[in-house]
Amino acid sequence: MMQCGWPLMGPLRWLHYLNKEVTVRAGKGEEHRGWLLSVDPVSASVVLVSFGEAVAVRVVMGHAVEAVEVLRAAADDETAKSLRSVFLPPPSPCLDPKELRQRRDAVRRWLQENRIPVEEEGEELKVAGVLTIAAPYSAHDCRSSNQIILDRIQRLIGIQDCTNQGLPL
Amino acid sequence: MATPVPVLRLPKGPDPNSRGFDPNSPRFIALCRTSISSSAASDTNSEQLQKEQDARSVLREGFLRCLLSMTNKKVQFQMYENVKVEATFGASDIDVLNFQVSDLHTPIGVQKEALIRCQDVISFTFDV
Repeated sequence: MMQCGWPLMGPLRWLHYLNKEVTVRAGKGEEHRGWLLSVDPVSASVVLVSFGEAVAVRVVMGHAVEAVEVLRAAADDETAKSLRSVFLPPPSPCLDPKELRQRRDAVRRWLQENRIPVEEEGEELKVAGVLTIAAPYSAHDCRSSNQIILDRIQRLIGIQDCTNQGLPL
Repeated sequence: MATPVPVLRLPKGPDPNSRGFDPNSPRFIALCRTSISSSAASDTNSEQLQKEQDARSVLREGFLRCLLSMTNKKVQFQMYENVKVEATFGASDIDVLNFQVSDLHTPIGVQKEALIRCQDVISFTFDV
């Protein structure tokens, strides 16, 4: 397998291609064009994105890259903004402070009913000293380094959410 | 392709086991380096190394977010020998050597669950 120098360039050189429009030649005469979002330092794979009807992402595996050529060194403001937000999760809707407090109290009471030690730490809930729940206190907002506790608390909050919404458990 | 046919078992390859996935098989050792090593310590000073590590983190995070957004989406894989397959992406291993996919549409049928060797893939694409 012919290997060009791409996988050997290293992170500092790959960084130079970020957010530039490039053409990547790969495999047997394939050519792909797009804005370079990232290069995986482990496999040298190139993540390209193009904005058409849909946002299409193409990843070219590092071992298959023959050449990378820069077409446009800088994106216009709109493209730059789109590039930054391609993989970010959609922003969560903002709840007003009163609703947030009500929600936090509801979650705290539910955990206490289930005999789980929970304390309020500022705007967050601290569970058993090892898990933190941030606003808006859904299962997704739980953070912990203990996988077992994380799983159990997420399930517990999930049950409360389903009950509140009248969904089947 | 007409009606997808469930594939129960693909033909066994020449390896005695795991058709090239086994890390001790000659194919794996020949084709799959587990990682691209960082610059040799003798070449760089610690400031350079720090910059390189920062670059690595930024780049790796971008790539991991890409993989995350790919989960449970339909992905088209362009592989060698002009093979194009579509599947629902499940997960990747840490070294980006294997992809776990479901509902892999191959020329000989639909495989419910499959592992794709990344060394066989040229590129893959999906819509966000």
